[in-house]
Amino acid sequence: MLTVRQAGFAGRQGGCAGVTFSNVISTGWKTTDGKRPPAFLVASSAAVALAALIPVGYLLVRSAGAGTEWIDAIWRTSTAAIVGRTFLLIVLVTIISVAVAVPVAWLTVRSNIPLRKVLSVASVLPLVLPSFVMATTVIEMYSPRGVIQGWLSGLGVNELPEIYGLGGATLVLVLMTYPYVLLTVRGALRRMDPALEEAARAMGYGPVHTFRAVTLPMLRPAIAGGSLLVALYTLSDFGGVALLRYQTFTSTIMIHYELINRTLAAALSLVLVIIAVMLLLGEGFTRGSGAYHRSTVGAVRSSRRVDLGRLRWLGAAAVGLPVLIGLVIPVGVLIHWLVRGLLNNQELIPLLIPARNSLFVSLLAAVVTVMAALPVAILAVRFRSRMSRLFERSIYIGFGLPGVVVALSLVFFGINVAHPLYQSIWMLVFAYGVLFLPASLGPLRSSLLQVSPRIEEAAQSLGRSQWRVIFSVTIPLVMPGALAGGAMVFLLTMKELPATLILSPIGYKTLSGSIWDAASDAFFAKTAAAALVLVLVAGVPTAYLTLRGHGDKSGVSDSSMKFGEALR
Amino acid sequence: MRMPWNRKSDAPMPSPGAAALAALAVAGSASTETGVIHLEGVECSYTGSDGPAISNFNLRVLPGEFVSILGRSGAGKTTALRVVAGLEQVSSGYVRVGGQLVGSSFVHVPPDQRRIGLVFQDYALFPHLSVERNVEFGLKDLSPQEKSVRISSVLELVGMSGYESRYVHELSGGQQQRVAIARALAPDPVALLLDEPFSNLDRQLRAALRRDIKKIATESGATTLLVTHDREEALATSDRIAVMGDNSIDQIGTPEEMYQNPVSASVARLIGPCELIPGVFRGGVVVTEAGAFPTRITTDDSIPDGRQVLALMRASELEIEPAEEGEQRAATIELREFEGEFSEYSIRLDSGTLLRVRRRAANGLETGSRVRIQTRNGSKVIVFPS
Repeated sequence: MLTVRQAGFAGRQGGCAGVTFSNVISTGWKTTDGKRPPAFLVASSAAVALAALIPVGYLLVRSAGAGTEWIDAIWRTSTAAIVGRTFLLIVLVTIISVAVAVPVAWLTVRSNIPLRKVLSVASVLPLVLPSFVMATTVIEMYSPRGVIQGWLSGLGVNELPEIYGLGGATLVLVLMTYPYVLLTVRGALRRMDPALEEAARAMGYGPVHTFRAVTLPMLRPAIAGGSLLVALYTLSDFGGVALLRYQTFTSTIMIHYELINRTLAAALSLVLVIIAVMLLLGEGFTRGSGAYHRSTVGAVRSSRRVDLGRLRWLGAAAVGLPVLIGLVIPVGVLIHWLVRGLLNNQELIPLLIPARNSLFVSLLAAVVTVMAALPVAILAVRFRSRMSRLFERSIYIGFGLPGVVVALSLVFFGINVAHPLYQSIWMLVFAYGVLFLPASLGPLRSSLLQVSPRIEEAAQSLGRSQWRVIFSVTIPLVMPGALAGGAMVFLLTMKELPATLILSPIGYKTLSGSIWDAASDAFFAKTAAAALVLVLVAGVPTAYLTLRGHGDKSGVSDSSMKFGEALR
Repeated sequence: MRMPWNRKSDAPMPSPGAAALAALAVAGSASTETGVIHLEGVECSYTGSDGPAISNFNLRVLPGEFVSILGRSGAGKTTALRVVAGLEQVSSGYVRVGGQLVGSSFVHVPPDQRRIGLVFQDYALFPHLSVERNVEFGLKDLSPQEKSVRISSVLELVGMSGYESRYVHELSGGQQQRVAIARALAPDPVALLLDEPFSNLDRQLRAALRRDIKKIATESGATTLLVTHDREEALATSDRIAVMGDNSIDQIGTPEEMYQNPVSASVARLIGPCELIPGVFRGGVVVTEAGAFPTRITTDDSIPDGRQVLALMRASELEIEPAEEGEQRAATIELREFEGEFSEYSIRLDSGTLLRVRRRAANGLETGSRVRIQTRNGSKVIVFPS
C-alpha cells in the first residue's frame, strides 16, 4: 500500500519513463479527506502503537494461560466492591481537583493578585513530588501522632479527623494531580480570544455571568483533558493509596502480584485496562472537532487582568493555600527530617551518582519518547483516519496502567522476546516510553494543529520529499511542543518508582529508587535528602516552562501552554 | 528525454539580474500541443463531500502564458490548482506538466517532483527561517555561490533586496507576498501557480502588486496560472481567462474575447458588471420592458423566434434620452453619480429592475426624470436563451 507518493517519478535524472503503476493495485487506506499518508509515517506509528500495547498483550496472554479459573477468582475477590471504591476515589479526586484548579488558574492568569508570578510557578510545583513522598509527609503532618496533632494537643484537641482511608487518599491525590488541570486550563485561558468575553460584557453581562456563560463553556475541553489525566493517575497510583491504607483496584493488583497469584493480578489488570479505555472514551466525547490551526497568522491579543481591589489579597491566599499544603509543608517536612537526621549524625547516602543517573535516564526517556510520539502525532493531525485515531488512542492506555503492570509485562517481554535488552538501560527507557508517551503526544498534537498544512505543502512544492519536509519544516515548527512534552516526560520519569525499581539494571541507582530504599529502611534523613534533590532537579524545568508563559504575548508558540496540554 | 528541469543551471553572467532572468526563462521544450500545463477531463473529489470538486476539467496553458482561472468561491478553482501542483490526486482524466503525464487515475507524481512554483493565499512562508533561507529552501544541486547569486537575483526581481536576514513576522503582508513569489521562482519552476495571491492585501497594495506580478511574470518568462474570484485582477493580468462555473471551465479566451463574446449569462456576470433582463426574441430583435434592441448571439445555437431570452445590459453600451410625454417603456432616473467626464446613472425600470447607464456629463439629466433607453451607436445587445 501507499507506495505511489513515495515512488513517484523514477527520478528526475532518469527521465520520464519512471511512471509508477502500482497505484492501480493499491487499496491502501485513505484519510477522511482522501489523502494518503506516507508509508514511513504509518509504519513508525504502527510500531510505536504496538510497543505501547505490549503490556496489554502480556496481560491477555497471561490471563488466557490460566483458563477460566480467574473469572471465578475475580468474583471471589469482591471485585465489584473494589471497583466501587476506586470509582468513588476517582470521582472525588477529579471533582475536587477541578474545583481547586480552575479558580487558581483564573487568579494566576486573569487577576492582579500580589506575587502572581511566584504563585503561578509554585502552584504547579506539587507535580514534582512522587506520590509516596507526598503521602509520607501528609502522614507525618496529619496522622494521630503527627506534627499538627502535637501542636493541637496543647490546645486541648485530642483527636484529629482520621487521615487514613478515603479522606487521606483523596487529599494526597488532589495535591498531586490538581496541577494537571491547572496547566491545561491555564493554557486555554491564555489562548482564549478576549474579544469573546468583551462582547459578552458589552451585551450587558456582569463579570460573574460572563464567566459562567462564556469563559467556563470555552474551558470545558481543557477541564475535560486535565480531568482525564487526574482520573488516569488516580486509577494507576499505588504509593499514595497504599500508604494511606485505602484499597483501590491498583493496590489490590499489587498485593496479588507480590503475594498471591500473578495470573489473577493479570486478569485484574485487564479490568483496569477496560476502566482506562472507558475514561478515554468519556473524554473523547467532550473533545469534539474544534481545535484547528488558526487560519490567520497573528498575535492573540492578551486579556487585561481584572483588578480585584482589596480582594486581591484574598485571591493570593486562595492560590497560596494549595501551595502551602501541597508544596511548602511537604518540602518543610523533608527539610525537617534532613536537619533532624543530620543532628543525629545519620549518614547521608552519596547522592551524586543517583542524581546523575536520574538526570541521564530521564533525559534519554524524554528524547526517545518525544521522537516516538512524533510520527503518531503527525499522522493523527495531518492524516486523520480511523487508523490514526486507533494508534493515538492505544498509546493513551499506558498512562492508565500502574507502573508495576507495565514493568512486569516488560520483564516478561524482555526474558522471552527481547533478551539482549533485558537488564539494560534501554529496557527502562522503553518502559518510561510506554508509560509516558501520551504526556508528550498532547503538546506535540497541539503544536502541530497550529502549523498550517499549507506550509508543509509549500515545502513539498519546492522539491522536498515528504520525508525531508518533516525534518526541515515540521519538526522545527513543533519544537515548542516537543520541548514541553519532553519536559513533562522528564518530570514524570524523575519521580516514577515501580518501573524504575523493577527494570533498573542491577546496581543502577536513581533518585526515586534511593528515596524508596532509604524510606523502607526508615532512614528519614536519607529519604529527605534524596527527595529534596529530586524536587530541585525536577522543579527547575517545570518552573522554567511555567515562567516562559509570562510576558509572552504572541501565544502562538508558547511552550508553557503546550506543557499544560500534556495528554490533551 | 531531456526534461526542462534537468537543464543545468546557466553559468553566472555579469549581471546577477540578467543571470536570474535567463535562468528563470522557461525552456520551450513543452510543445504547443501539450502546453506547459495540460488538464484533460480531470475529475477530483474529496471523500465525504457529495460530488466532485472539479469534473471534466479541461485547460491548457502555453509556454510563457499568463492564464487566470476566474470563478465564484466554491467553484473548485483552488482544487484545480492543487491538482496541477500534485497536492490532490485525480480520480480520472490526465494531468500533464511540461509534457509529462503526472496525474491520472493510475499515476500520481508527488508535488516535490513536479517542479511547480506555488504561491499560497496565506503565503505559507516558513516562520522559522529568514527571508534568505526561505528563498534558498527549494534550491538544490547548486554550489553555495550559485545559490547566493540566485537568491539575490530573485529577491531583486521582486524588489526585496536588503531584506535577506529578516524573519517573516517582521514583514508586511505585501512584503511576505513578494518573498513567497521569490521563493516559488527561485528553483526555476516549470510553471508558477498563484492561489488568490492578493486577497489578504488592502485595495491599494493589491493594484500595485498586481502590476508587479504581471511585470515579474513577463520579465522572467514564467508560465503562470492564477486563481482568483476578482474579475479586475483577472482582466488586468491575464493573457487568457478561464471562467469556471460549477466544477468545470465554462469558457476560456483573451479578456477581450471573453468580454465581447461571453457564451453564457453566468460567464457574462463574472467577466464584467452587467444586468440581465428578460425579453422575447423575435426577428433579430429582443423586446424587453426597457425597450426593443438589435441583438447578437454569441453561442453556436440559433434562437427560434418567440423564445424567452436574457438580454445583457452593460452601462457602457447603453444610452438614455429624455422620454417623450406618455411614452411607453420608459424608466426613471434614480441616482446620478458624477465621475468626471462621464456620469453614471442608475435607472429604475417600472418592474423594479435597476440598470446602469454611462452618459457624457456635459448634458446631464435630472434625477427623477423619465428616460428612454437605447443602445449606444446602434450596437447590438447580446442575448442568451433563458
